[in-house]
Amino acid sequence: MKLSLFVPCLVNHLFPHIAIDTLQVLEKLGHQVSYPRGQTCCGQMMTNSGCIEIAEPAVAALCEALLREPCDAIVAPAASCVFAAKENIERMNLPGEAKALVDKFYELTEFLHDVAPIQRELKPIRRVVSMQMSCHGLRMLGLGTSSELALPPGGNKLHAILSRIPELTITQPARDECCGFGGTFAVDESDISGKMARDKIEQHVATGADAIVGYDPSCMMSLGGVVSRNHVQLEVLHLCALLNQAL
Amino acid sequence: MAITHAKNAASFVNNEARVNWHSAALLALRDKRDLQAKSVDEWERMREAASQMKLHVLSHLPALLEEFSARCESNGIIVHWARTAMEHNAIVADILQQRGRKKLVKSKSMLTEECHLVPYLEERGIECIETDLGERILQLRGDPPSHIVVPAIHLKKEEIGELFHERLGTEDGASDPTYLTQAARESLRDDFLTADAAMTGVNMAIASEGAFVVCTNEGNADMGAHLPDLHIAVMGMEKIVPDTASAALLMRMLARSAVGQPSTSYNSIFAAPRPGTEIHLVIVDNGRSRRMSDRRHAEIYKCIRCGACINTCPVYRRSGGHSYDYFIPGPIGLAISGDNSEANSEAWACTLCGSCSAICPVKVPLYQTIAYHREQLAHHKHLPYGKNTYMPLVGMVMKSPRRMALAMWLARLGMRLSPKPLLHRLGGGWTKSRDLPPPPRESFEAWYRKHGGVSDGH
Repeated sequence: MKLSLFVPCLVNHLFPHIAIDTLQVLEKLGHQVSYPRGQTCCGQMMTNSGCIEIAEPAVAALCEALLREPCDAIVAPAASCVFAAKENIERMNLPGEAKALVDKFYELTEFLHDVAPIQRELKPIRRVVSMQMSCHGLRMLGLGTSSELALPPGGNKLHAILSRIPELTITQPARDECCGFGGTFAVDESDISGKMARDKIEQHVATGADAIVGYDPSCMMSLGGVVSRNHVQLEVLHLCALLNQAL
Repeated sequence: MAITHAKNAASFVNNEARVNWHSAALLALRDKRDLQAKSVDEWERMREAASQMKLHVLSHLPALLEEFSARCESNGIIVHWARTAMEHNAIVADILQQRGRKKLVKSKSMLTEECHLVPYLEERGIECIETDLGERILQLRGDPPSHIVVPAIHLKKEEIGELFHERLGTEDGASDPTYLTQAARESLRDDFLTADAAMTGVNMAIASEGAFVVCTNEGNADMGAHLPDLHIAVMGMEKIVPDTASAALLMRMLARSAVGQPSTSYNSIFAAPRPGTEIHLVIVDNGRSRRMSDRRHAEIYKCIRCGACINTCPVYRRSGGHSYDYFIPGPIGLAISGDNSEANSEAWACTLCGSCSAICPVKVPLYQTIAYHREQLAHHKHLPYGKNTYMPLVGMVMKSPRRMALAMWLARLGMRLSPKPLLHRLGGGWTKSRDLPPPPRESFEAWYRKHGGVSDGH
């Protein structure tokens, strides 16, 4: 497929390796991937605080960039940014062609599960990973069945993709509770946020995993910060890093 | 200066052992709720049906209230209407004073907390006894509730033992819950027998019957309402359901969602006064019609006050019920009142994780309503935590790829060059609990430019 890569601000400027791994994974899977220039941000940092008007020019700039290169789908390695981009494009005063982009956005896990499943055999990776089912991906994009719902278990898209990697042991924390990031919440309510993040790490550690694997770089940045501060023996990995290694 | 939720929460969250205990107590309720909800095959369909039913109620409220009050009157229940909390309090005081009543036994009612009824009556010489065990503990301590279903969840049994030793004469150092409950029961028994009026809340008001449902686990509402010859029930006007089947649907969900029981232990339907007794029903607006007139705020009145959103809220469990401005804490409290808090910070006491909306038995769009309050506050430039100043700057930077690249280049440079202690200072709230990520040498954009748009992944 002809894909456009949406690289959220955080990934572009602080975690470029996540974008590089995503690009390489998608190319290895045979897709034609381009990175339209001029992207900035999905607007989430502002709209999460209610600042819709302030965020509008940034979202408009993102749409302009993405509209410059026609594609079949727009893929991003960040669930909350994909959700925010779609929500923001829908609610903002943007031209009709920008509105049409909404249906093209896919978070990477979602894309590899729903749109273009991996057909090839993957190389084995012998390690134990604990899945970080971040909230926006879990509850808003439906990457899994959240624990509140009285629905049959399963339907976890991250698990479905990871389980294609031979010899990989997949676990997850006992609860699918928020990691405490919440955008500016991590700064505004730093005490509560820090406690939530420490509790989350404790639960990941309790699984016996040697790495956390997730699909949301912002939550991973927060958890990674706690891991580093407390010298916890856990690597914090994006799904794309494991896939790039396995392909 | 107005105090933010973060400041209000600080003393609670920084007592780590107590936070862990508080969180675990609430998660135990959440776990029981999960078991119960998942034992009902049609649970998710019930949530949808209950949501649709309550939406129907909200969109037909005037007609349903008229039907309900007409049928109540024909059943012999005397209906009063209160536009405000003050009117509600005055109506209740009038009913009691006209009949010379001096002692009121109350079951739990969040509406009376909302209206500050008890101090109002006490100023007028009417003794009020809370008969719900949790509420009674708080009344003896002079504490406000910290939760709408388990109002004394912030207290440990040892603290209650001490309180009862002082106030009820239990043995010094005794903290056995059964022993303490027995002592409360004995003391309350006297109050029940000497009261000359009873008050209950209302869980569901059935329009087609002119009857109302009261649910408790302790039987205290029934004990109160059946002894004296005067029963005053009070309800917010959103408590209406169209018919008995609708009430039954909510009764299947209420206790399961609240505490993980299939049903509350005592469920009474009051349809008419016993001969020689009176039932008065006060229907209260107090801001409800104003909030309902806003399409994006109205759905909070689907709420059946089960508290499931509070139990699951990761922020509430770590900040405690007393950290909030409004008397109802957690997601539902923020959804009701997050547009109107002292420091404008309440709507930000939330990570927008969405667990509340996913657990709500009537699908109140909780986190979405909290986000809506943020929008309204931002629109009026009433933002907390310095956001009025820095958000426009963020917007200026983020709308331009060049400015963004420059700002982040400077940030990476700063992160690389600054010694760790300085970074911790500059990092503010972030670095209180976490390190900043190690800054990469270059952005993805720069890397992509160098690699000519073709990565080495082929």
